[in-house]
Amino acid sequence: MSDLDFLALHGLAVRKHGGPATVASLLGADEAAVGIALEGAVANGYAAGAKGIFMVAPAGQAYLAEQYPVVFADARGDEAFVGSYERFEKVNVDLLTLMTDWQTMPAGGGRISNDHSDADYDQSIIDRLGSLHERAERVIGKAADAQPRVGRYLERLEEAYDKVLSGDRDYVSGVRVDSYHTVWFELHEDLLRMLGRTRQE
Amino acid sequence: MSRVIFLDGSSLPDREIIGGKAWSVARMRSLGLRVPPAFVIPVDECRRYHDAGRKFDDALWNDVLDGVRAIEQATGRRLGDAGSPLLVSVRSGAAVSMPGMMDTVLNLGITDEVEAGLAQQTGDTKYARETHARFCHQFGDIVLKADLDPYVAGPTADEVRALVLDDVGESIPDDPYTQLRAAISAVFDSWESARARSYRKHWGISEIGGTAVTVQAMVFGNLGDGSGTGVLFTRNPLNGDPTPYGEWLPGGQGDDVVGGTHAVLQLDALLETMPAVHTELLSWANTLEQENREVQDVEFTVEQGRLYLLQTRTAKRSPDAAVRIAVDLVNEGLITEDMAVQRVTAEQVDTVLLPHISAETAASAKVLASGEPACPGVACGIGVVDPDETELRAHAGEDIVLVRPTTSPNDVHGMIASVAVVTDLGGSTSHAAVVTRALGRPSVVGVGDGAAMSMAGKLLTVDGGAGKVYEGRLPLIATEVDEHPTLRTLSAWASERCTINVVHEFSGSVVDLDADRSAVDAETGKIDVEKLTALLTGAEAAKGGVLNSPEGAQAITASGIKTVVAPRRLPIQLRLIQQ
Repeated sequence: MSDLDFLALHGLAVRKHGGPATVASLLGADEAAVGIALEGAVANGYAAGAKGIFMVAPAGQAYLAEQYPVVFADARGDEAFVGSYERFEKVNVDLLTLMTDWQTMPAGGGRISNDHSDADYDQSIIDRLGSLHERAERVIGKAADAQPRVGRYLERLEEAYDKVLSGDRDYVSGVRVDSYHTVWFELHEDLLRMLGRTRQE
Repeated sequence: MSRVIFLDGSSLPDREIIGGKAWSVARMRSLGLRVPPAFVIPVDECRRYHDAGRKFDDALWNDVLDGVRAIEQATGRRLGDAGSPLLVSVRSGAAVSMPGMMDTVLNLGITDEVEAGLAQQTGDTKYARETHARFCHQFGDIVLKADLDPYVAGPTADEVRALVLDDVGESIPDDPYTQLRAAISAVFDSWESARARSYRKHWGISEIGGTAVTVQAMVFGNLGDGSGTGVLFTRNPLNGDPTPYGEWLPGGQGDDVVGGTHAVLQLDALLETMPAVHTELLSWANTLEQENREVQDVEFTVEQGRLYLLQTRTAKRSPDAAVRIAVDLVNEGLITEDMAVQRVTAEQVDTVLLPHISAETAASAKVLASGEPACPGVACGIGVVDPDETELRAHAGEDIVLVRPTTSPNDVHGMIASVAVVTDLGGSTSHAAVVTRALGRPSVVGVGDGAAMSMAGKLLTVDGGAGKVYEGRLPLIATEVDEHPTLRTLSAWASERCTINVVHEFSGSVVDLDADRSAVDAETGKIDVEKLTALLTGAEAAKGGVLNSPEGAQAITASGIKTVVAPRRLPIQLRLIQQ
């Protein structure tokens, strides 16, 4: 299996399912080449696909689990990369708090759902997202020095942040779009898979 | 004439000129309420500073010094005086808030000697040390742009200073006036930060404006007996009850109450220890509610028996409270019926009407698991662990509760297909909680290792608001508008004002938008207003869940359709009125 064949299957596993365009965007790779790699994965029995949407088959999951320690041996042995992952986990706590503050707000000792009727409140969270994004740039930037592919997530986070700034609120924590949280969640999953760590929550 | 404005309430300059923070201070002063003394450097000084090549001229500095002296006179404290120290906050205040603008610097004026003085006066060495360290962190981060981790209590001021020096090669000044000058310049500079500039460009906000700078005395809630800090809501923000509700922390300072780091007392405790202050507080809060014609959330500090208001704003409130308060304010003559139907949103009404479990039912039901409430709402379904199975069975028409040890992006499609989500691990800020809230799926997280798995295959009722999972299908109570004491009133007002006929039943031909989903993007769920308008144009009447949305209301208005059929009239009426 070529590097791209493996990465296409890995990218598909991070997202669970998707077409060549989605997986190529996640990897920062060429869409046509990713499409060929995914067709190859189907032929090997590692993925299943219909109407241009693919998903990882059980054999593919087993194959990935077996290959991760080999393919990502460098990353796992790289102190700088592991260190930046650990910093990422710290920023992750703040990101999730920020997302919670975006979705809910304090009211008299309790929390209520944020109906986005208070522009100042929303703006204060978007401003915090800006500061957090600057921290993310430093942390993910360092991770990308060791593993350049990770830098693609920074571009996608930037795209989500730009959408938020331009007034599309769904790009903060929306589930059906590549929101800041969607991309962050995928980055988290990707890092956990690369480093063979277990999710804590 | 001085180029800074002392905010004593004798005049109320335009918000555009002095920024929102200073305007709020001036307004409270003009109502005769006590707030910590403050002055503002108006917006046009920011432009002058940048026109001069980021230079702060001596004439302005002299006026700033006069402003400081006015604050010193009003407080009886002096900047840099260890015996009776004045500390100030420095805040930006543009007419429109925008990203990249400088945050607040608090406790400016603290130095090594002042720290020692404060420790003596408050009898709290730890407080004095932390205030100093926190100031150094904030100043290093915001003014000197050092790359620091978020502040955590522990390190001393010296340790923070060393970190800052190490990172940017510049020291935090130990002279309060040098601190002040640098902080004011940093506020002006932040107007030209890359983020602020790109935001203005994006929104077409003029580059000609600027930010004001507000300098305000800090007051101390920790000066022994007769001091403390708290918040007051003019009405109960959870149920709308028209009695003031608040929290009081004797000896508390700054964010101690808001930050949730200390156990606080109810407001009655203030009534017992300082009845006069309590009376004054309630009277001032009432003034603010009357003036603003809206329920207020007031932050206050009592310094040695003297009450100061720090901030007031419209209180956040639960959907139940929002409905009750809007109707009450009309009955009290504070707002009109027209204003009331503008203030309550369709989403709030929908939330009030959500089915819920009665207290009696909950008391006799078997609790299978308890955890943290992550997203409110009640739903019932079969517990399934595998997200693919969840999706398959849900698409076949079953109600499925996804029960997971943890969640990853691989589970999101299952969460979308489910009616509720339960996880073993994680708190109210976990990925699972964030995703379920974004979807509006009831969820309970952190029910304990292995608990979710043990619920597989069982029929479950999940109460996301209570953080409970019950065995079996519990009977739910559905509230109806006509049975609800305040919604009934609001509904009558809305019906009088809605020009489109929203009805429960209609005998003519009705376009069914639950059947024709062509205006909704299957993947993203986004509604195409133009397509929806086209579907409605020329129709006699229409029905469908899609109409109870902002896009639905736009399409109804644009299409000129006369009749909408809906199981609940009020949410759609409110959307149409609020267009």
